[in-house]
Amino acid sequence: MRIKQRTVRSAVSAVAIAGIAALALAACTTSGNAPQSTAAQGGKVTVAVVNDFTSFNNQTPQANLDTNGQVGYLDGSYGTGFQYIDNNYKIVHDDKFGTFKKVSDNPMTVKYTLNKDDKWSDGQPVTADDMVLAWAIASGHYDDATIDPGTGKVTTGTQYFSIAASTAGIDATAYPTVGDNNTSITLVYSTPYVDWELVNPIAQPAHIVAKKAGLSSAADLTKLLKGLPKGDPAKPVAPNATLLKAAAFVNTGYDVTAFPTDKDLLVASGPFVVSSWTPGQSLTMVRNKYYAGGLKPNVDTIVFRFIGDANAQVTALQNGEVDIINPQASADTLNALKNTGATVLAGDQASYDHLDLTFSQSGVFSDKAVRQAFLKTIPRQQILDSIVTPVNPKAKVLNSQIFLPNQSEYAASVKGNGSSAYDKVDIAGAKALLAGKTPTVTLMYNTKNPNRVDEFQAIQASATQAGFKIVDAGSPDWSKKLGDGTYDAVLFGWISPGAGTSALPQIFGPVGSGGNYNNYGGTGKLAVSTQTMTNPSDVVKAENQIDKQTFTDAYGLPLFQLPGIFGVSTNVTGVKYMGNQNGPFWNFWEWSVKKATK
Amino acid sequence: MVSFILRRILVSILILIAASFLMYMLVAYSSDPLANLRSSSSPNKDRLIADLVSRLQLDVPPPLRWGLWLGGAAKCLIPFANSCDLGSTISNAQVTDILPQALLSTVQLVTLALILAIVFGIMIGIVTALRQYSGLDNTVTFISFFLYSLPAFLVAVLLKEFIAIGFNNFLRDPVVSWFWILLIGIVVGAIWQSLIGGEARRRLIVFAISGAGTAVLIWLMSATGWFEKPGIGPVGMVVLIAAIAIGATALMAGLQNRKALITAGINAVIAIASYFAMQPLFAISSIGTLIILGIVALIVGLVSGYLVGGYDRGQNLRVGAVTAVLSSALILVDRAMQAWPTYLGDVNNRPIATIGSSTPNLGGDVWVTGIDSFTHLALPTVALLLISFASYTRYSRAGLLEVMNQDYIRTARAKGLPERTVVIRHAFRNMLIPLTTLVAFDVGALLGGAIITERVFGIPGMGNLFSSALGPGDINPVMGYFLVIAAMAILFNFLADLAYASLDPRVRVR
Amino acid sequence: MTIDNTPIVADEAVVPEKAPESEGRLILRRFLGNKFAVASIVIVILIIAFSISAIGIGPIPGWWKYGFKALNPQVNAGNPTISLVPQWLGGKGISLGDHPFGQDRIGKDYFAMVMRGIQNSALVMVVLGGIASFVGVVVGAIAGYFRGVIDAILMRITDVFIVIPALVIGSVVGHWVGGLGAPLLAIMLGFFSWMGIARLVRGEFLSLREREFVEAARVAGASDRRIIFKHILPNAIGVVIVSSTLIMATAILLETALSFLGYGIQAPDVSLGGLISSNESAFQTRPWLFWWPGFFIVTLALLVNFVGDGLRDAFDPRHRRFKLRAMREQIPEPAEEAKL
Repeated sequence: MRIKQRTVRSAVSAVAIAGIAALALAACTTSGNAPQSTAAQGGKVTVAVVNDFTSFNNQTPQANLDTNGQVGYLDGSYGTGFQYIDNNYKIVHDDKFGTFKKVSDNPMTVKYTLNKDDKWSDGQPVTADDMVLAWAIASGHYDDATIDPGTGKVTTGTQYFSIAASTAGIDATAYPTVGDNNTSITLVYSTPYVDWELVNPIAQPAHIVAKKAGLSSAADLTKLLKGLPKGDPAKPVAPNATLLKAAAFVNTGYDVTAFPTDKDLLVASGPFVVSSWTPGQSLTMVRNKYYAGGLKPNVDTIVFRFIGDANAQVTALQNGEVDIINPQASADTLNALKNTGATVLAGDQASYDHLDLTFSQSGVFSDKAVRQAFLKTIPRQQILDSIVTPVNPKAKVLNSQIFLPNQSEYAASVKGNGSSAYDKVDIAGAKALLAGKTPTVTLMYNTKNPNRVDEFQAIQASATQAGFKIVDAGSPDWSKKLGDGTYDAVLFGWISPGAGTSALPQIFGPVGSGGNYNNYGGTGKLAVSTQTMTNPSDVVKAENQIDKQTFTDAYGLPLFQLPGIFGVSTNVTGVKYMGNQNGPFWNFWEWSVKKATK
Repeated sequence: MVSFILRRILVSILILIAASFLMYMLVAYSSDPLANLRSSSSPNKDRLIADLVSRLQLDVPPPLRWGLWLGGAAKCLIPFANSCDLGSTISNAQVTDILPQALLSTVQLVTLALILAIVFGIMIGIVTALRQYSGLDNTVTFISFFLYSLPAFLVAVLLKEFIAIGFNNFLRDPVVSWFWILLIGIVVGAIWQSLIGGEARRRLIVFAISGAGTAVLIWLMSATGWFEKPGIGPVGMVVLIAAIAIGATALMAGLQNRKALITAGINAVIAIASYFAMQPLFAISSIGTLIILGIVALIVGLVSGYLVGGYDRGQNLRVGAVTAVLSSALILVDRAMQAWPTYLGDVNNRPIATIGSSTPNLGGDVWVTGIDSFTHLALPTVALLLISFASYTRYSRAGLLEVMNQDYIRTARAKGLPERTVVIRHAFRNMLIPLTTLVAFDVGALLGGAIITERVFGIPGMGNLFSSALGPGDINPVMGYFLVIAAMAILFNFLADLAYASLDPRVRVR
Repeated sequence: MTIDNTPIVADEAVVPEKAPESEGRLILRRFLGNKFAVASIVIVILIIAFSISAIGIGPIPGWWKYGFKALNPQVNAGNPTISLVPQWLGGKGISLGDHPFGQDRIGKDYFAMVMRGIQNSALVMVVLGGIASFVGVVVGAIAGYFRGVIDAILMRITDVFIVIPALVIGSVVGHWVGGLGAPLLAIMLGFFSWMGIARLVRGEFLSLREREFVEAARVAGASDRRIIFKHILPNAIGVVIVSSTLIMATAILLETALSFLGYGIQAPDVSLGGLISSNESAFQTRPWLFWWPGFFIVTLALLVNFVGDGLRDAFDPRHRRFKLRAMREQIPEPAEEAKL
């Protein structure tokens, strides 16, 4: 009897529990029906990239990273807009988005006119207000800050927009003239700026920035900018609170750690907009339906997948998880990709390795004959053959300090610059120049970079034959030692900007310039003067002259351009090789998918 | 007890502070976050360097900077204030923002690997101990030493090359060749005969039956296109659920125990009934539904075991719960298999992933996303669990052998208890005691191993955060990683002590 | 559950009871009886000796014609020239050829590089194991013998080091000194790997110091130092030898993992782990670049593990293969916080 009672009680409670569970179940079901696929329809291309995305504005110092830049290239905040750079490092104008041309040389005046149909991805028109804002950001016009070079802290005045790029050049412009029914601006440069063609006055949407600064419209922001005086570090004035707010938003407001809940951050002027982002995994961009420019894409969706490990990219392509990869170039990767039937595009990267000699009074290379003798021993062909040729059989030794082989100026410059003196290893010639001396050369390189290690070993083997004593100064901390005089020669790489000349005064400028670690003074004036030239042929002439001078002075030797490869799945067509930081993305509008991936 | 815990927490915090100082100094003095900028040819290089110096306070000497960091980290101890400050990365993301996302991925991966390693490690350890010095034992011993000696990333790379790409290629034309059918049959037969044991004749029969059965099954699967449209089917479900019920009873109570058999039978019948009844509900299920159903299954198992009663209610409860939960799991697996063709279509017939923890922009119901998680996490989990699997096998085998030599086991045998009862009820629990300590150590090893596994498989977890931050000398995320890892190590040590105390009556925590 | 270790005392003050031969000899005999472990240790020594004789060590040259840094012209497109198939089986006969293991991309002889890698792995193994054992024994012995405040302080220091997983601290250390050469890396890693041994030794000391023979030595007026090193340590030596062998096996794998992450031994020097990880992309196209170093890593680690296992059997025959007591001593707290 007792047992029975208990059973009944248990049964009652079981029923109660079941009832509660049923209620909870009803609350926890989805409205879905029969299982069916909801994967993206239509053309989708998945591209493997190394680094995660961190910011919708890649022009700040902290967000100036490759993936951010590529997303910016697709959404129009950086690198596309009025112009883009093609795979021959030529500037191509996108006249459908807007036109710009130099209307006068003296003073240099450039007019930008937008297409009337240009719209942001939220449907708002792109106007001169947006261009004025982009100009204000890029020019640093309103900054009156004095910055302590040691700590980087502002000592007096105000720094509004903080940008990764230099303001040099654009800082010589006055407040632009707005015209053509608020669709054009005209920039007047007080001193000519050689790279004017790279200036792209489209960045962040002014109506969004105005909103975040507490203003009601983009026009109000323009009004504010127009009313403010040009900043002067010598006479700092009280900061403008509204501009400060706007600047704070542009500087850090776009930095994200998760897909933003604030949809204002996504507003873009380019062909694609970001539609989702899973940190560490993938970022998806879909077509901007309002885009009216010339870079109309064929594909609907571009997915970035973040794969840090270079070898993992190759397996992911083989396994069909990504369509385009840009892995570390090696003969093995190349062959592995070919074996799986992927299309392999090989080419040169925009960065090149070079050997620099230190010019100092007391150093071993103060004697030009010793410099020449050392350079004669450098086995450039052998280094190229072992590092680059297996990946890119067409690669040639780099013979110019200034130009890259796919630039049209390269051939002419190489002919006249005297690089032919170092074409072949000339041990006998080196011995003759040394005349019995056995100089000791301390050669620095990055031990963490296998290419540099191989270069060092090859150079050491060759130079020793001519009587040099090579001291191995390889170090993982090499970059700290640059320019400190503890070495006689150094192997490292420069990233060539391809288009533009801003690196010239850095590397070949007078002793003390930021990138002149050699103490080399032979081309200083010339390099600085290029920055204010208005005639492109003058610039080329000056560049040729620098190129020649460096070889005459036995400044050092360019070695080779790093090889690069893209692996492309057979599904995707239209991808072309590009050596700069945009990599495969540079012609995204030409991509198409053969069969629509389901 | 309370004072013991408080003392432990206080000591742990002091240890954390000291270890964080050690870590901070090592990282700060070994890395140079400015290295990339120094060798750049950017026109405003100096400005960029100055900017980074001021953002990361690189002008403050490391010991003082550690003090600043500690001050921010100490705010994490204030409950509910949300004022945690672990600094920011070079790219200006707050470490407190990126840490939780990474933590989730890693905890998912490590927990799964840990549980599987423990379960399989102990199971195999027990089996090899019971069949000491048999062919199976020697093979397993050798394999576990071999796994122990494999570099983690080698395993990961091989898994990707052979399992992921190999299996996906196989799926393009899923026909198993005769060579593989025979090989798998022979291997399975060899394992079974060694497990069952006995004299040569019996072994040979077991070998022949199990080997041939497996071979025929694989041939059937291959011939009927099972790999493209897998499923267990109603008949298979009935058979398998019945097998679970009988197996659970046999293992835990013995088949002669009628009450336990009845409990298992009730649960099997309920499971089969719900398999048919629940299909419409499954179609609209979310993850919440499934959790509730799982809990209901557990309750049903326990209640039925209780209601059946008998002289050993506890045993009945266990049999009921195990039967119910395992059968439910089987039903879930069957339902997930029904979604497999849909999933195959979504991923272009290449299901096993080599990268990441989910397919980007994959829609679909809970079954499709569930399969997606499985296909992404399967390989990294295997790669990770192989690190510790070997040691669990070795330690549990040795532990059981040691325990089986004890006097109380001899007593239990002398009483005439069946071998099953001796092993399951007397030896098993005591064998677990030393393993608790191993678990605590193993968590540290797994978290370390995750650094490599996450990198090879592109999983955005803690390990990835650490290794990608250490290279460029991004100290704040490295320290954030350290803090979490160290806290977890301490926590697991503490839990191991508590488990030790609860398993071993001779140990009392004061 | 005590262990049947009879005390061994160097000055023969106490004669081992019931033992016709000394404990040490007995253990040695047991170890030698384990054919598998003996074969393992012999093969390990042979591999290391082979690698040293092949390419020499320091300034002393070896019998192999190429150095591991020298650049050579590409022979046979870098493929291995070794041939193991005899002519009567249709092969090219057993011969080494110019580059038996092939060449890397700039023509370095891969055989010489693998030999150098073995040397470096052996170096890391021995140095790391040696330093970790030494520091561990000293810390553990002092803590276990003196107990009290010294013990508490030393064990808290051990805890500080132990909360950081080995691979994490290894990465940081490798990041720091990886570029400064293999010996320094091995030494530094050793200084961060002693914690396990320290705890084991401390546990042994805590129990051994209560034994009669220690009491006897103390009464006889032996100094602390003498008791620690002459009386207790010889009895705890089994734990030390076994665990330092096992640390050596993990040391090889640790260096491999560090190389994969980029924090191991840096080029132009060579390590086995570095060779595999830098040739990971060659897996499908030039597999030998991957498999030769991989083979030696797995072989070395496996054999050293077998040796450790054999030693464990020899020191503690009753618990075939595993020593649970030692393991149990590893729990950090119960010794004081929890009462047995």
